[in-house]
Amino acid sequence: MLWLALQFPHLSLDLVTRGHELCRDLPVAISDNVSRKQCVLDCNPAAAHAGVRPGLPVNAALGLLETLHLVSRDTQAEQDALQRLAAWCYQYSSQVTIIPQRTSLVLEVGASRRLFGAAEELAQKLNGELLQLGYHVRAGTAPTPEAACLAARHGLHISRASEIYSRIEKLPLDSLELDLNQGPALQKMGFRSIGEILKLPRKALARRMGPAAVDYLDRLTGSRPDPRPAWQPPEHFSSGMDLASEISTSQALLFPLKRLVSELCGVLRARDRGIQELHIYLRLDSRKSEQGEERFHLGLQQATRDESRILLLLRERLERLRLPRPVRHIRLRAGQLLPFDAQQNSLFMDKPDLSEQPVRPLLERLCARLGTDAVRGLKGIQDHRPEYSWSVRELDEPADCTAMPHRPIWLFARPQRCRIGEYQVLAGPERIEAGWWDGHDCRRDYFVVRDRTGCTLWAFREYKPEPGWYLQGMFS
Amino acid sequence: MAALQPVAPDALLPDYMPDVWRGCQVHRDIPALSSGYAKLDRHLPGKGWPLGALTELLTETSGNGEFSLLLPALAAMTSKRRWVMLLDPPWVPYPPAMLGHGVALERVMLIRTRNVEESLWACEQALRGVRGGAVLAWLEDPGFARLRRLQLAAKAGHKAAFLFRPMVAAQQASPAALRLQVRTQHKNAIRADISISILKCRGRRTSQAIKIRRTQQLPGFAPLSEAIQGSSPSVAVSVTAPSEELRHHSRSR
Repeated sequence: MLWLALQFPHLSLDLVTRGHELCRDLPVAISDNVSRKQCVLDCNPAAAHAGVRPGLPVNAALGLLETLHLVSRDTQAEQDALQRLAAWCYQYSSQVTIIPQRTSLVLEVGASRRLFGAAEELAQKLNGELLQLGYHVRAGTAPTPEAACLAARHGLHISRASEIYSRIEKLPLDSLELDLNQGPALQKMGFRSIGEILKLPRKALARRMGPAAVDYLDRLTGSRPDPRPAWQPPEHFSSGMDLASEISTSQALLFPLKRLVSELCGVLRARDRGIQELHIYLRLDSRKSEQGEERFHLGLQQATRDESRILLLLRERLERLRLPRPVRHIRLRAGQLLPFDAQQNSLFMDKPDLSEQPVRPLLERLCARLGTDAVRGLKGIQDHRPEYSWSVRELDEPADCTAMPHRPIWLFARPQRCRIGEYQVLAGPERIEAGWWDGHDCRRDYFVVRDRTGCTLWAFREYKPEPGWYLQGMFS
Repeated sequence: MAALQPVAPDALLPDYMPDVWRGCQVHRDIPALSSGYAKLDRHLPGKGWPLGALTELLTETSGNGEFSLLLPALAAMTSKRRWVMLLDPPWVPYPPAMLGHGVALERVMLIRTRNVEESLWACEQALRGVRGGAVLAWLEDPGFARLRRLQLAAKAGHKAAFLFRPMVAAQQASPAALRLQVRTQHKNAIRADISISILKCRGRRTSQAIKIRRTQQLPGFAPLSEAIQGSSPSVAVSVTAPSEELRHHSRSR
């Protein structure tokens, strides 16, 4: 077994800055309550450049930099993010474990080596992809989960259990995950490196430090098994981000949306699922309220997990969106995760079959921009009155129709009044009298007429309900 | 000193300049779809409506035979399960009549837009979208640059693209591969010949007007073959009562 640990050292900061393309110029800091005092917990390079340091009281930080964007730490959001990241990592390993107190994930990657290459390559790949999603990560591999966590902090890649001791013995003592006051106690005893602790007899150590610490050291070196519960990814996806600097143009929303969508697509790949529905919520006020929220949803004709396709549709949809106020928070929620049937490519590169190309991507694109009722088909209805004998239909409905080649090819949306004297009558009359049963009773005599420009038209003389001459269609 | 030998102009043009049009070349390999009218096909470079290119149909007024000129080709396309997309038609394409002309309604798509910008965008998307098939668009004065975009989109989507435009557009330059002026000439009540003049035709010199003999299908005029068979042409069909099915339906309400 080989474990890959991913540690997110700046998770709370990443959650704030990942919605911004140019977060580098915006000084951001995270504050938290440390011993009853609001202190800076983490800050980005822009803030650090001005002298803001972790551990600095909030007032002092604001004194240094007036424009500092201070956000108080949200532990719940961090835990939710870890859950999502675990679901995302599920595409690289079937066994993912969350270690919440260390904001870390541990993945078993030994079994995935043939698929994704050596652990170091995979670590690099994950590092790059997570950076694309806006997360900074430290990765390390080792044959035990505890050693992997240690390796992640120091960027080590240990491939064999026999190497663990030699690789970690020189590391400083404070990299160990001991209880809060145990580390300083050991320091006071004169221990400096991990190797010195590991050399000590276990019984004596257990008397001093308690059995938990010894158990930890045994799991670290692999002399005691360390089974981990298999984490199960959830059956839904919802992800949001606060926007540190408000976004007021709809096109600028594309950047945070792209990050959310690629996160979603990773989760979908992991579960071999697709989505057909996507809900997007844009909160315009700092507080949650009904009226301060813009929402729209995106419907797809077929379950998909193609990032570029979803983004293309979102781009079209965003063009229609008008924002009354800047957006402060953006959230993306996927509808039901549906089974995904992937398109199989031919092995022999034969010519694509041109007879049946999928029309769905086109329909989705058109509907996303023009509205869902902009694209329709046509069907016939059994009725003698021309205006009731047709209707639009959804494109997947059957098109029942009776062929009538002698009818005009164009029908006017509604009959237009006309003066029959201006037309040359060619044929007629044809009596159509129907509709007494549904309240649209009519009695008409239809004629074929021709106007001066040479157009052949379909006119009728109505007797009931409103007497007069009308034009209803055109023969082309 | 050797006398100057006459050189064939073709030899002066290097082979790596395929974009230079050579008048002596006969364009036989232009992809096209038969228009259904043999006489018209003979005058068109690929023996039919060009595929992957724009075709403009210019008329004085709408409803001058320009749509029925396309119906045989549309029927052929839909029977091969290709999509025919109508973008903002001025009136409703009446389904029973469309089916009567052989157009399979399953493959007819109607796209409605709200403004010029949307209709140009939708036209481009429709042209690029599914490969093959036809797009029929009624656009308001697209302008040369947009037409060029549409021309490229039609090429990418291998579409037969028909634009219906007013006669005044003939004065403007257009990147369309084929521009036709269409007019109906009535000989009598049902003889409606279509007169076509080719204004521009890529790959061939324009020729004189083409006249297609055609009888309009009008109610009250039975086709000639039926009349010969002895069935008396029904001049007026009077429907005074709803069909049995409908009557039943109304009672159950």
